[in-house]
Amino acid sequence: MKLPAARSARLQPRSWRRPRFRHRSGLSAGAAALGALTLILAGCSSGSPSSSSSSSATAAAGHKGGTFTILANSAFGVADPAQNYTLQQWQLLIDTHDGLVGFAKVGGVPGSKIVPDLATSIPTPTNGGKTYLFHIRKGIKFSNGQTLKPSDFVRTFERQFTVPGPTSFYSGLIGADKCSTKGCDLSKGVVADDSAYTLTLNLTAPDPELMDQLSLPFAFAVPGNTSLKLTGNNVPPGTGPYMWKSYNPNTQAVLVRNPYFHVWDATAQPDGYPNEIIEKFGLQVSDEVRAVQNGQANEVFDGDQIPSDQLSQLNSPKYASQVHVNTLTADWYFALNTRRPPFNNLQARQAINYASNRAALVKIAGGSSLAVPTCQILPPNYPSYTPYCPYTAGSDHTKWTGPDLAKAKQLVQQSGTAGMKVVVNGTNDQVGKALVEQMISDLDAIGYKATPQLLSNSVQYPFVQNSSNSGKWNVGWSAWYQDYPAQSDFLNVLLGCGTIHPGSDASPNIAAFCDKSIQSKIDQAETMAATDPAGAATLWTQIDHAETDAAPWVDMYNPKQIDFLSSNVHGYLWNPQWYILIDRLWLS
Amino acid sequence: MLTFIIRRLLWTVLVLFVITVVVFIIFFKTPGVDPARAIAGRNPSAQVLQEIREQFGLNKPLPVQYLLMMKSIFISRDLVSYSNQGVKVVPEIAAATPATLSLVFGAALIWVVMAIAVGVAAALLRGTVFDPLLMVLALIGVSAPVFWVGEVANLITQGTWHDTFLFSWVPPLGYTPLTQNPGLWFRGLVIPWITLSILYIGLYGRVLRANILETQNEDFVRTARAKGISERQVLLRHTLRTSMITFVSLFGLDFGALVAGGALLIEVVFGIHGVGYLTYQALANLDLPTIMATVVYGAFFIVLVNAIVDIGYAWLDPRIRPT
Amino acid sequence: MATLLEQAEVGPEPTSAVVGRNPWALAGRRLRRNRIALAALALFLLIVVLSLAAPLYAKYVAHVNPFPPNLNGHTVVNGKVVAVMQQGGGTLHLGETPIGPTWDLGHYFLGADSVGRDVGALLLYGGRSSLLVGIGSAVLCCLAATVVALIAGFFGGVVDAVLSRIMDVIWAFPVYLLAISISTELLTHSNGFQFGPLHVSASSLWLPAVIIAFIFVPYVYRPVRGQVLAVVNKEFVEASVAQGAGNMRLIFSEILPNVVSTVIVLLPLMVATTILTESALSFLSVGVQPPNVSWGTIIQDGTSLLYTRPWVSIAPGIMILLTVLSLNVLGDGVRDALDPRAKLRIEG
Repeated sequence: MKLPAARSARLQPRSWRRPRFRHRSGLSAGAAALGALTLILAGCSSGSPSSSSSSSATAAAGHKGGTFTILANSAFGVADPAQNYTLQQWQLLIDTHDGLVGFAKVGGVPGSKIVPDLATSIPTPTNGGKTYLFHIRKGIKFSNGQTLKPSDFVRTFERQFTVPGPTSFYSGLIGADKCSTKGCDLSKGVVADDSAYTLTLNLTAPDPELMDQLSLPFAFAVPGNTSLKLTGNNVPPGTGPYMWKSYNPNTQAVLVRNPYFHVWDATAQPDGYPNEIIEKFGLQVSDEVRAVQNGQANEVFDGDQIPSDQLSQLNSPKYASQVHVNTLTADWYFALNTRRPPFNNLQARQAINYASNRAALVKIAGGSSLAVPTCQILPPNYPSYTPYCPYTAGSDHTKWTGPDLAKAKQLVQQSGTAGMKVVVNGTNDQVGKALVEQMISDLDAIGYKATPQLLSNSVQYPFVQNSSNSGKWNVGWSAWYQDYPAQSDFLNVLLGCGTIHPGSDASPNIAAFCDKSIQSKIDQAETMAATDPAGAATLWTQIDHAETDAAPWVDMYNPKQIDFLSSNVHGYLWNPQWYILIDRLWLS
Repeated sequence: MLTFIIRRLLWTVLVLFVITVVVFIIFFKTPGVDPARAIAGRNPSAQVLQEIREQFGLNKPLPVQYLLMMKSIFISRDLVSYSNQGVKVVPEIAAATPATLSLVFGAALIWVVMAIAVGVAAALLRGTVFDPLLMVLALIGVSAPVFWVGEVANLITQGTWHDTFLFSWVPPLGYTPLTQNPGLWFRGLVIPWITLSILYIGLYGRVLRANILETQNEDFVRTARAKGISERQVLLRHTLRTSMITFVSLFGLDFGALVAGGALLIEVVFGIHGVGYLTYQALANLDLPTIMATVVYGAFFIVLVNAIVDIGYAWLDPRIRPT
Repeated sequence: MATLLEQAEVGPEPTSAVVGRNPWALAGRRLRRNRIALAALALFLLIVVLSLAAPLYAKYVAHVNPFPPNLNGHTVVNGKVVAVMQQGGGTLHLGETPIGPTWDLGHYFLGADSVGRDVGALLLYGGRSSLLVGIGSAVLCCLAATVVALIAGFFGGVVDAVLSRIMDVIWAFPVYLLAISISTELLTHSNGFQFGPLHVSASSLWLPAVIIAFIFVPYVYRPVRGQVLAVVNKEFVEASVAQGAGNMRLIFSEILPNVVSTVIVLLPLMVATTILTESALSFLSVGVQPPNVSWGTIIQDGTSLLYTRPWVSIAPGIMILLTVLSLNVLGDGVRDALDPRAKLRIEG
């Protein structure tokens, strides 16, 4: 998932907010349950002073009340949940809608476990892994008073295809391949029985990642009479503790309590504390911080990048209890264009990996409290992650300590690419520009002639993905955030042979990296996931190291995220999937 | 005279047409722009893109697309933004207009009053030290980049001295509609007004002073003096009116340009979500419908005001050749 | 501008000889007598010299290369070695703050910017770009506008009408769209533009110069055209026509010399305007592109540091202010020199 966050927000135009991308090449595997297991094994997340584990539900009714105000630099685009692919709206949709299953709404590592929500339990698949029979809970109502029935899910899934948006998540349903924006017949793939209150999903092939995909807000239930077309900025009714009262992307979004809600499972969908949740748009980030400092609002949207001069203010002990820092399972990297010289040459790619000064890049991100240098593909606290960094000075290959310029220059000479011109592509905001300039400086130091190519945010991402632009750049910035904790989300989606789509603006394998032997290991790991999860996990680790050795990227760092809250906010929880859990916060 | 007016207005329509066509072509020539992809949301498949193209008529020839867009701006007014298909562009601009108008009207009021004061004072005080002093101040106002003055103003009022009694009344950056909270509306606009007017006070003060001095050598003023009227009366009753001709015509042009979105820099620096701010956002996001609508809105104002000023000149002075 | 009467010297011993001088010499003398204008000229030239000396300052005084980021660098302040970027304090250590002004010419005089570069050295280099773009575009603009105005004013009729309408279109055209669109177009061609033997790279300073020149052509066109129209009807032109002069001769020998002074008066004012416009476009990231810096780009860099390191934004603004101020005063002086009775009229 890619998050182009707005930085130095003083001048940042309202850009695409935090889109999450996920392209699937048909069959893939990841083990969601295994993911949770390895997360626990990998240890706790950041060593930050924030408490990331939830206190056992001290959810006394006495904490209810108040209006919780979030300030965001820009809105999240069109609000139809079938299309919206932004974390910004997802953080609100989990409070207004529910799916068959969902990530547990608790803090810390348990928050990456998938639990049943509108379904009574998570079914084991039958028919060779292709059929899932869900029992739907009775007595749940939408915010407009309609009772939830299994047939509502039929419309929900149809809309995944009739509304333009990412369709690959649910393309495994029978009949999905014939679905389009003109119409969709999923009568074989999504079978609802309103008298027995069951919903059966029939797939064309087994998919161990199905539960993860059903936990994404795309699959959250909407009433069966919702239009098949884009509902624009009107959000259809949902079953969650809150409902959408209004959304105007130029001013604010308002959520109020859903009068028909009752708690059926406190882990999946607990009741919320604030009476009203408002998200206001359009302020400069520095003013958002000031407003929260003054208690005029409760939260700075965590996707907004706080400018450096205010970061230093937040270090003051006065704000110690209001600032929370958490590590994200995300990569910020420069993709190396393997289609043409010099980076079609392995040694050239390794050279820049040795030369890249990740300490300087981390400083651009705001210092070591906000970013951790990395060399490898998988981020820390992720399934199958074991620390590995071959591109460092010194002999300890578990972490990056410094660049090795001598080795880098030697590799450049050996590769025969010394003196070549290199174009470094990135975004034209403050941080993007600085990252590109640092990369240029590192390239020049080892004998290349590098020049910048800065594009605005909304143009840059499609530009570097499209192969027809491949002749115009050699090094391209990008970032990727998990969709859900599956190894394939990084290792296959970003570097697999099947995700190179020539001539398309949506080709997430920006480096165009394709190694047949690594790909066969990936395919093997995906098939192994159902039968031998532990073996698959080990194989994924090997794949991570192999891809790192092949150096298709210069991976820079794994970012951390700051949550800045006002002094009267309590009950902070950080969930690894949704980050801050808004309706679990209470105001004093 | 009537024919002149009609001809001028027809030219106005033609100019508008040319501008919109050029904008349209420039947009489609800009690489990295694919409206279908913007509309389709994230990560669409090629099939979805194709369907979008058919649905929105994006594979029709450009002239047809142009006409469709013009129709949806002027006639049906249901043009939808590419960045967010839930947003209708024309109402969005209409909603942003009050912010721009509040900013520009307030600033214009200040600068007209202050410029007249400065120009008259400098003319009256000619020969003393105040004349060059005022003119130097005016020049400084003209010479400072307006966005920089805005940033410095923010630094002072929001940062260093925000907590002192001097500036604690300044609210956080942003615009509050007048109908929502008049007090906040006013307080939030004072600093932007002053910043925007500094440039124009300098400019217009100098223009007025020069015109006054020049007019004072005219015959009719000499006559007035000969009649025994006091210098001040001469200035206010006789000289000022004639001197204001240039002032008024310049004012018309500048005011028109500002309302059209020329206050973009101030709006961006102070976080006022007016038409200029919308324009800037749309350009950065390459959102053609919003760009086109703001361009139409802006060009319309500028060209109309130009035409009015020209017509006014021709009416005031029949010697001026109609162009 | 009307020609002055020349009187021939009378007699071998002129008692009260009136020596005629050509109007340019007279203008020059008037300008020389205008102390304020001369001071402004001196200030402007000082700024130009300082900017041209940027490489000398960077190499011999500050000992830095101010273009690449210097995030891990160190410098000497008060005899102690300090890191250029300093990590935040408290318990969280969030953020990296660059050092502020040291007021020591040899070591980060104005402090560092957000990637650790020497702001003082950047300021001088920025001056080069800003001045080059400003002067270049003003000259281009005046040239182009004069040519078009000559054609329009001389031929009149339909030609005049069409050209004036084209100018209207340009004047009403959204500046920023043009700039952003051209920038994006060129940046996505990594090799820039190719015009036959001419190669313009995407980060060339010519691009903002040409864009800005283009935008202001209508602004200069109006007064120059007005002047051309005024001259075209004068008797000496009629006389020339009667003598059988062709169009080219008329334009170049009769009309142009009388129009030049209008353009010369406008030139300093146009440089002032173009410098301001360039800084605005660079502030919005569509003017001067990396690796070049200009005063506008430095101001933009400084906005994220506005409250902790205000000098990064303040210093370039002051430079722009002083440069434009000196140009405005000089412009006034030139106008007074060329026609002491000229009205201070800024034709819109």
